[in-house]
Amino acid sequence: MRFSVSGLNSKEQIVVRDGDYVAIFNSIHRVMEAEKLLKGKRLAILLIPAPRTLAADCGLAIRYAEEARAEVEGTLAQAGLLPKELYRRIGEDYTKVGGDL
Amino acid sequence: MKNVDVRGLSCPAPVVSVKRALEEAGGELRVLLDDGAPRENVKRFAQGRGYLVQEEATEGGFALTLTSSAEHQPQPKGGVATGPAVLLIGSDRLGDGPEELGRLLMRNFIMTLVELAELPDRMLFINTGVLLTAAGSEVLEALEALGNRGVEVLSCGICLDFFKKKELLAAGGVTNMFTIAESLLGARSVVRL
Repeated sequence: MRFSVSGLNSKEQIVVRDGDYVAIFNSIHRVMEAEKLLKGKRLAILLIPAPRTLAADCGLAIRYAEEARAEVEGTLAQAGLLPKELYRRIGEDYTKVGGDL
Repeated sequence: MKNVDVRGLSCPAPVVSVKRALEEAGGELRVLLDDGAPRENVKRFAQGRGYLVQEEATEGGFALTLTSSAEHQPQPKGGVATGPAVLLIGSDRLGDGPEELGRLLMRNFIMTLVELAELPDRMLFINTGVLLTAAGSEVLEALEALGNRGVEVLSCGICLDFFKKKELLAAGGVTNMFTIAESLLGARSVVRL
Protein backbone atom coordinates (compact mmCIF):
# COMPACT_ATOMS: atom_id res chain seq x y z
CA MET A 1 0.00 0.00 0.00
CA ARG A 2 1.36 3.45 -0.90
CA PHE A 3 0.51 6.94 0.22
CA SER A 4 1.93 10.08 -1.31
CA VAL A 5 3.61 12.74 0.78
CA SER A 6 1.09 15.55 0.77
CA GLY A 7 1.14 19.28 1.34
CA LEU A 8 4.41 21.08 0.92
CA ASN A 9 7.19 19.92 -1.33
CA SER A 10 9.45 17.17 -0.10
CA LYS A 11 12.35 19.50 0.74
CA GLU A 12 10.19 21.18 3.35
CA GLN A 13 9.16 17.92 4.96
CA ILE A 14 12.07 17.55 7.29
CA VAL A 15 10.39 15.52 9.96
CA VAL A 16 10.52 12.29 7.97
CA ARG A 17 13.46 11.89 5.62
CA ASP A 18 13.78 9.62 2.67
CA GLY A 19 14.37 6.07 3.90
CA ASP A 20 13.06 6.71 7.43
CA TYR A 21 10.57 4.41 9.11
CA VAL A 22 7.36 5.67 10.68
CA ALA A 23 5.70 3.45 13.28
CA ILE A 24 2.09 4.19 14.09
CA PHE A 25 0.46 2.97 17.28
CA ASN A 26 -3.20 2.69 18.04
CA SER A 27 -3.18 4.58 21.32
CA ILE A 28 -1.46 7.51 22.95
CA HIS A 29 -0.55 5.32 25.93
CA ARG A 30 1.18 2.74 23.76
CA VAL A 31 3.14 5.35 21.80
CA MET A 32 4.27 7.05 25.02
CA GLU A 33 5.27 3.74 26.56
CA ALA A 34 7.17 2.80 23.42
CA GLU A 35 8.99 6.15 23.39
CA LYS A 36 9.99 5.78 27.03
CA LEU A 37 11.26 2.25 26.47
CA LEU A 38 13.28 3.11 23.36
CA LYS A 39 14.74 6.27 24.85
CA GLY A 40 15.68 4.32 27.96
CA LYS A 41 17.83 2.21 25.65
CA ARG A 42 19.25 5.37 24.06
CA LEU A 43 18.02 4.42 20.63
CA ALA A 44 17.88 7.13 17.96
CA ILE A 45 14.14 7.63 17.71
CA LEU A 46 11.90 10.68 17.66
CA LEU A 47 8.25 11.03 18.56
CA ILE A 48 6.70 12.99 15.70
CA PRO A 49 3.28 14.09 14.49
CA ALA A 50 1.99 11.28 12.28
CA PRO A 51 2.23 12.38 8.64
CA ARG A 52 -1.16 13.64 7.50
CA THR A 53 -1.48 11.00 4.80
CA LEU A 54 -1.09 8.20 7.33
CA ALA A 55 -3.98 9.33 9.52
CA ALA A 56 -3.52 7.78 12.92
CA ASP A 57 -6.02 7.85 15.76
CA CYS A 58 -3.65 9.49 18.20
CA GLY A 59 -1.82 11.55 15.59
CA LEU A 60 1.61 10.49 16.81
CA ALA A 61 4.26 8.23 15.43
CA ILE A 62 7.81 7.13 16.15
CA ARG A 63 10.44 7.83 13.52
CA TYR A 64 13.73 5.99 13.12
CA ALA A 65 16.32 5.33 10.48
CA GLU A 66 17.37 2.03 8.89
CA GLU A 67 20.43 1.77 11.16
CA ALA A 68 18.24 1.64 14.27
CA ARG A 69 15.52 -0.55 12.81
CA ALA A 70 16.58 -3.98 14.09
CA GLU A 71 17.10 -2.81 17.65
CA VAL A 72 13.98 -0.65 17.77
CA GLU A 73 11.69 -3.33 16.44
CA GLY A 74 13.36 -6.05 18.53
CA THR A 75 12.84 -3.99 21.68
CA LEU A 76 9.22 -3.25 20.84
CA ALA A 77 8.50 -6.90 20.01
CA GLN A 78 9.97 -8.04 23.30
CA ALA A 79 7.78 -5.62 25.21
CA GLY A 80 4.66 -6.53 23.25
CA LEU A 81 4.53 -3.00 21.87
CA LEU A 82 4.79 -3.55 18.14
CA PRO A 83 3.17 -0.74 16.16
CA LYS A 84 -0.20 -1.07 14.53
CA GLU A 85 1.25 0.01 11.21
CA LEU A 86 4.76 0.52 9.95
CA TYR A 87 5.65 2.61 6.93
CA ARG A 88 8.84 3.55 5.17
CA ARG A 89 9.26 6.76 3.28
CA ILE A 90 10.75 6.17 -0.14
CA GLY A 91 10.95 9.24 -2.32
CA GLU A 92 7.54 10.87 -2.30
CA ASP A 93 5.67 7.81 -1.04
CA TYR A 94 5.07 6.00 2.21
CA THR A 95 5.07 2.26 1.66
CA LYS A 96 3.55 -0.02 4.25
CA VAL A 97 6.20 -2.44 5.41
CA GLY A 98 4.67 -3.93 8.54
CA GLY A 99 1.84 -4.10 11.05
CA ASP A 100 -1.75 -5.01 10.19
CA LEU A 101 -1.67 -5.64 6.48
CA MET B 1 19.66 48.39 -4.55
CA LYS B 2 20.35 47.31 -1.00
CA ASN B 3 22.99 44.64 -0.38
CA VAL B 4 23.20 42.10 2.38
CA ASP B 5 26.16 39.83 3.02
CA VAL B 6 25.37 36.60 4.84
CA ARG B 7 28.50 34.69 3.86
CA GLY B 8 29.88 32.61 6.67
CA LEU B 9 26.58 32.46 8.55
CA SER B 10 25.06 29.08 9.27
CA CYS B 11 21.39 28.18 8.79
CA PRO B 12 18.90 29.57 9.60
CA ALA B 13 20.70 32.91 10.07
CA PRO B 14 20.93 33.69 6.30
CA VAL B 15 17.15 33.41 5.83
CA VAL B 16 16.43 35.45 8.95
CA SER B 17 18.83 38.22 7.83
CA VAL B 18 17.38 38.26 4.32
CA LYS B 19 13.86 38.39 5.68
CA ARG B 20 14.73 41.38 7.84
CA ALA B 21 16.49 43.13 4.95
CA LEU B 22 13.50 42.58 2.66
CA GLU B 23 11.19 44.04 5.26
CA GLU B 24 13.37 47.13 5.41
CA ALA B 25 14.36 47.42 1.76
CA GLY B 26 11.16 46.35 0.05
CA GLY B 27 11.56 46.09 -3.74
CA GLU B 28 14.98 44.74 -4.60
CA LEU B 29 17.79 43.14 -2.67
CA ARG B 30 21.15 41.64 -3.57
CA VAL B 31 22.31 38.85 -1.27
CA LEU B 32 25.84 37.51 -1.07
CA LEU B 33 25.85 34.02 0.36
CA ASP B 34 27.56 30.66 0.47
CA ASP B 35 26.64 27.85 -1.88
CA GLY B 36 24.77 24.82 -0.52
CA ALA B 37 22.12 25.03 2.19
CA PRO B 38 22.18 28.86 2.61
CA ARG B 39 21.72 29.38 -1.14
CA GLU B 40 18.94 26.79 -1.38
CA ASN B 41 17.12 28.02 1.73
CA VAL B 42 17.23 31.72 0.82
CA LYS B 43 16.14 30.97 -2.74
CA ARG B 44 13.21 28.85 -1.58
CA PHE B 45 12.22 31.40 1.05
CA ALA B 46 12.25 34.31 -1.45
CA GLN B 47 10.38 32.37 -4.12
CA GLY B 48 7.83 31.31 -1.52
CA ARG B 49 7.20 34.99 -0.83
CA GLY B 50 6.70 35.77 -4.50
CA TYR B 51 10.14 37.23 -5.30
CA LEU B 52 11.91 36.63 -8.58
CA VAL B 53 15.36 35.20 -7.92
CA GLN B 54 18.36 35.66 -10.20
CA GLU B 55 21.53 33.78 -9.33
CA GLU B 56 25.12 34.40 -10.28
CA ALA B 57 28.38 32.88 -9.11
CA THR B 58 30.74 35.35 -7.50
CA GLU B 59 34.10 35.13 -5.90
CA GLY B 60 33.78 33.00 -2.80
CA GLY B 61 30.08 32.26 -3.15
CA PHE B 62 26.90 33.27 -4.89
CA ALA B 63 24.89 36.44 -5.37
CA LEU B 64 21.12 36.30 -5.50
CA THR B 65 19.14 39.26 -6.72
CA LEU B 66 15.64 39.26 -5.29
CA THR B 67 13.07 41.34 -7.10
CA SER B 68 9.52 41.73 -5.96
CA SER B 69 7.23 40.36 -8.67
CA ALA B 70 3.99 42.03 -9.73
CA GLU B 71 1.79 39.64 -7.82
CA HIS B 72 3.86 39.93 -4.65
CA GLN B 73 1.96 41.90 -2.06
CA PRO B 74 4.16 42.55 0.97
CA GLN B 75 1.30 44.21 2.81
CA PRO B 76 -0.31 42.07 5.48
CA LYS B 77 -3.78 40.71 5.03
CA GLY B 78 -6.53 43.22 5.74
CA GLY B 79 -4.14 46.09 5.10
CA VAL B 80 -4.59 47.58 8.59
CA ALA B 81 -2.18 46.07 11.09
CA THR B 82 1.43 46.08 10.00
CA GLY B 83 3.52 44.33 12.65
CA PRO B 84 4.67 40.73 12.71
CA ALA B 85 2.49 37.74 13.58
CA VAL B 86 3.93 36.55 16.88
CA LEU B 87 3.71 33.21 18.61
CA LEU B 88 4.47 33.56 22.32
CA ILE B 89 5.52 30.29 23.88
CA GLY B 90 5.41 30.76 27.63
CA SER B 91 5.91 27.16 28.68
CA ASP B 92 7.41 23.91 27.52
CA ARG B 93 3.93 22.43 27.94
CA LEU B 94 0.76 22.90 25.94
CA GLY B 95 -2.47 23.10 27.89
CA ASP B 96 -3.26 22.28 31.50
CA GLY B 97 -3.09 18.73 32.76
CA PRO B 98 -0.47 16.05 33.24
CA GLU B 99 3.04 17.42 32.66
CA GLU B 100 4.07 14.52 30.50
CA LEU B 101 1.11 15.00 28.18
CA GLY B 102 1.63 18.77 28.07
CA ARG B 103 5.26 18.37 27.02
CA LEU B 104 4.35 15.85 24.39
CA LEU B 105 1.66 18.15 22.99
CA MET B 106 4.02 21.11 22.79
CA ARG B 107 6.64 19.09 20.92
CA ASN B 108 3.96 17.80 18.61
CA PHE B 109 2.66 21.32 18.01
CA ILE B 110 6.07 22.75 17.07
CA MET B 111 6.85 19.85 14.75
CA THR B 112 3.45 20.21 13.14
CA LEU B 113 4.13 23.89 12.37
CA VAL B 114 6.85 22.78 9.96
CA GLU B 115 4.21 21.21 7.76
CA LEU B 116 1.99 24.29 7.59
CA ALA B 117 1.92 26.81 4.78
CA GLU B 118 1.11 29.83 6.96
CA LEU B 119 3.71 30.53 9.65
CA PRO B 120 4.24 33.18 12.31
CA ASP B 121 6.93 35.80 11.62
CA ARG B 122 8.40 35.44 15.08
CA MET B 123 8.35 32.87 17.87
CA LEU B 124 9.18 34.19 21.33
CA PHE B 125 10.14 31.66 24.00
CA ILE B 126 9.84 32.71 27.62
CA ASN B 127 9.91 31.00 31.03
CA THR B 128 10.12 27.19 30.62
CA GLY B 129 9.50 27.75 26.90
CA VAL B 130 13.28 28.33 26.57
CA LEU B 131 13.87 24.68 27.42
CA LEU B 132 12.58 24.03 23.89
CA THR B 133 15.36 26.08 22.28
CA ALA B 134 18.22 24.74 24.40
CA ALA B 135 20.47 21.76 23.80
CA GLY B 136 18.70 18.49 24.47
CA SER B 137 15.34 19.73 23.18
CA GLU B 138 13.64 17.44 20.71
CA VAL B 139 12.29 20.23 18.56
CA LEU B 140 15.64 21.71 17.48
CA GLU B 141 15.36 20.12 14.06
CA ALA B 142 11.88 21.59 13.63
CA LEU B 143 13.01 25.04 14.85
CA GLU B 144 15.86 25.04 12.35
CA ALA B 145 13.42 24.18 9.57
CA LEU B 146 11.12 26.99 10.70
CA GLY B 147 14.09 29.37 10.75
CA ASN B 148 14.92 28.35 7.20
CA ARG B 149 11.42 29.35 6.21
CA GLY B 150 11.86 32.81 7.69
CA VAL B 151 10.51 32.39 11.21
CA GLU B 152 12.56 34.34 13.72
CA VAL B 153 13.16 32.25 16.83
CA LEU B 154 14.02 34.27 19.93
CA SER B 155 14.52 33.18 23.54
CA CYS B 156 14.33 35.30 26.65
CA GLY B 157 17.84 35.86 28.02
CA ILE B 158 16.74 36.14 31.65
CA CYS B 159 14.95 32.80 31.35
CA LEU B 160 17.95 31.05 29.78
CA ASP B 161 20.05 32.43 32.62
CA PHE B 162 17.56 31.27 35.25
CA PHE B 163 17.60 27.71 33.93
CA LYS B 164 21.40 27.83 33.44
CA LYS B 165 20.94 27.33 29.73
CA LYS B 166 22.66 30.51 28.55
CA GLU B 167 25.55 28.63 27.01
CA LEU B 168 23.28 25.91 25.72
CA LEU B 169 21.01 27.87 23.40
CA ALA B 170 20.75 25.70 20.29
CA ALA B 171 18.07 27.37 18.15
CA GLY B 172 17.62 31.01 17.20
CA GLY B 173 18.87 34.00 19.13
CA VAL B 174 18.65 35.59 22.57
CA THR B 175 16.41 38.55 23.19
CA ASN B 176 15.54 40.90 26.02
CA MET B 177 12.34 42.26 27.50
CA PHE B 178 12.44 45.42 25.37
CA THR B 179 12.24 43.40 22.20
CA ILE B 180 9.67 41.05 23.67
CA ALA B 181 7.45 43.92 24.82
CA GLU B 182 7.86 45.79 21.50
CA SER B 183 7.14 42.64 19.52
CA LEU B 184 3.97 41.95 21.45
CA LEU B 185 2.66 45.51 21.38
CA GLY B 186 3.58 46.07 17.75
CA ALA B 187 2.31 42.71 16.48
CA ARG B 188 -0.56 42.40 14.05
CA SER B 189 -1.48 39.23 15.91
CA VAL B 190 -0.25 37.37 18.97
CA VAL B 191 -1.00 33.75 19.71
CA ARG B 192 -0.03 32.78 23.22
CA LEU B 193 0.62 29.17 24.12
